Amino acid sequence: MVPPQVYNISQSPITSHAFNADRTQVAVSLNTSDVRILSRSGIDWTPEETLSEHDKIITSIDWAPRSNQIVTASQDRNAYVWQQAPDPLTGRTVWKPTLVLLRINRAATFVRWSPFEDKFAVASGARAIAICSFDPDNNWWVAKQLKKPIRSTVLSIDWHPNNVLLAAGSADMKARVFSAYIKDVDKRPPPSVWGEKLPFNTVCGEYSSNSGGWVHSVGFSPSGDALAFASHDSTISVVYPGGPTIYTIRSTSLPYVTLTWTSEDSLVAAGHDCQPVLFSGGPSGWQAVGSLDDSSAPKTPGGARGALTGSSPVGRLNSAAFNTFRNADSRGLGSSPGGGSQLATDTEMFTVHQNTITDIRPYEGAPGAVSRVSTSGVDGKLVIWDVNAVSGMSTRLSGLRVG
Amino acid sequence: MDINFRKIDVDAYDEDVLLETELYDPDPREPLQVVEDAKAKAAAVRTSLAKGDTVGALVTILDNPPYGPNIDEAKNLTLQTVVTVLNSTKSTDIPNVVKLLPVEAQDTLMKYLYKGMGLPGWGDVSGSVLLGWHEKLTEVAGTGCIVRAMTDRRLV
Repeated sequence: MVPPQVYNISQSPITSHAFNADRTQVAVSLNTSDVRILSRSGIDWTPEETLSEHDKIITSIDWAPRSNQIVTASQDRNAYVWQQAPDPLTGRTVWKPTLVLLRINRAATFVRWSPFEDKFAVASGARAIAICSFDPDNNWWVAKQLKKPIRSTVLSIDWHPNNVLLAAGSADMKARVFSAYIKDVDKRPPPSVWGEKLPFNTVCGEYSSNSGGWVHSVGFSPSGDALAFASHDSTISVVYPGGPTIYTIRSTSLPYVTLTWTSEDSLVAAGHDCQPVLFSGGPSGWQAVGSLDDSSAPKTPGGARGALTGSSPVGRLNSAAFNTFRNADSRGLGSSPGGGSQLATDTEMFTVHQNTITDIRPYEGAPGAVSRVSTSGVDGKLVIWDVNAVSGMSTRLSGLRVG
Repeated sequence: MDINFRKIDVDAYDEDVLLETELYDPDPREPLQVVEDAKAKAAAVRTSLAKGDTVGALVTILDNPPYGPNIDEAKNLTLQTVVTVLNSTKSTDIPNVVKLLPVEAQDTLMKYLYKGMGLPGWGDVSGSVLLGWHEKLTEVAGTGCIVRAMTDRRLV
């Protein structure tokens, strides 16, 4: 079993991360208005460049692997496309920004390049998704908006492999599939399980889990014939649009906020539970397989996590933080200067990530055969996981149920 | 001086406001039908309890619970029935009962536990009984069950 590679990128949260095509560089947003480009040097990542153009926090970054362009979305309601070009004064290759006219009046929340890299979609709090394509006549990116029937902030999007369909998860408790067909850019897509005639803003499907909750993350399967979404009721739902059949897997733990498919019959989700969890299944049903975070293995800092996890009951209610507060309540042990050092070690969690995982992405392998995934989170760590290194169902996962 | 600006309904000036009712699918039953169902279930629960079948009683009352606006009578009756079942169960039996409940019923039971805790002194609601059930239910269904009870807009 290959242990996960852990990189401590910063003390502050990593809002978003995106690798370049050959994984030698990574673009991260450290909860600021700048993009940092880090380069791999040996076993660590060193800062190489800072892209400053936004004036509010960057919410999402995507790096197009073939055309080597970066797109960033920010709370300042703008998106920029960054391309490498020689600097006219020094001749050095630098990243040049191009402003995109999104025409939204709320924050941009999420951005993704389409598979052919000729379009990108920007989700926003303006109850709209801007579909941007390049207009060579005027030499700028133009946006066309998907609006109906979105009723609240769009939190995440994912492109179908045919470059036309787009899935969107929203704070109005719904995951939807839209057509983002742009005349002059797209060829007519072949008919798929989502429909045949697909003019712009066709709603091909609208789904939610039973108990609702904001849809934090959406993802098409590698073939595009199934859709998975994670919602705030601690469930993962997988939709096969024929019926439609929806399989909802209830977690006994905290909600997942990000997911990615690794093959046609498996996906990895992560979130407030601080560990990536592998799910597998197919058109006949889905279940949780286990955590990629082997909680029984000794971890370098702290080291003592194996002994304590065994007694950890389902759902982490009896976690270290819980014990700290209970001790403060029942025995008067508080965060006083005297007792602080002893308690400080107890707040370390038994997972690699020490806080919510906010972003998970494929790292290695073609779509449909992803062998490694990368995660980043509020703890400022970037971790690369082997998808096949699933530890057996740990105690707190054995209760995951399909309903 | 009243400084609580949150009392001002700012949504009144928003033409495109997102309404609470748009966040969940409404109950397909008529309000009268919901009350009838609740009464029928309360009777069925009494029969099950007389036979000592706590699991059966809970499954009955937690199936298809009343939610949404304008059905307070059915909601109160259902809560009262749930509380009766909870109060009549010996604390040593609780772990086995919650294990035998279907997952949907576990999530619904959690909603009623929180509703009961929000109404101290209402009817026969007893805080210590609810906390006992809450502890055992969380051990079986995890924090995910609590998250679902808090997230679900189909308020019971």
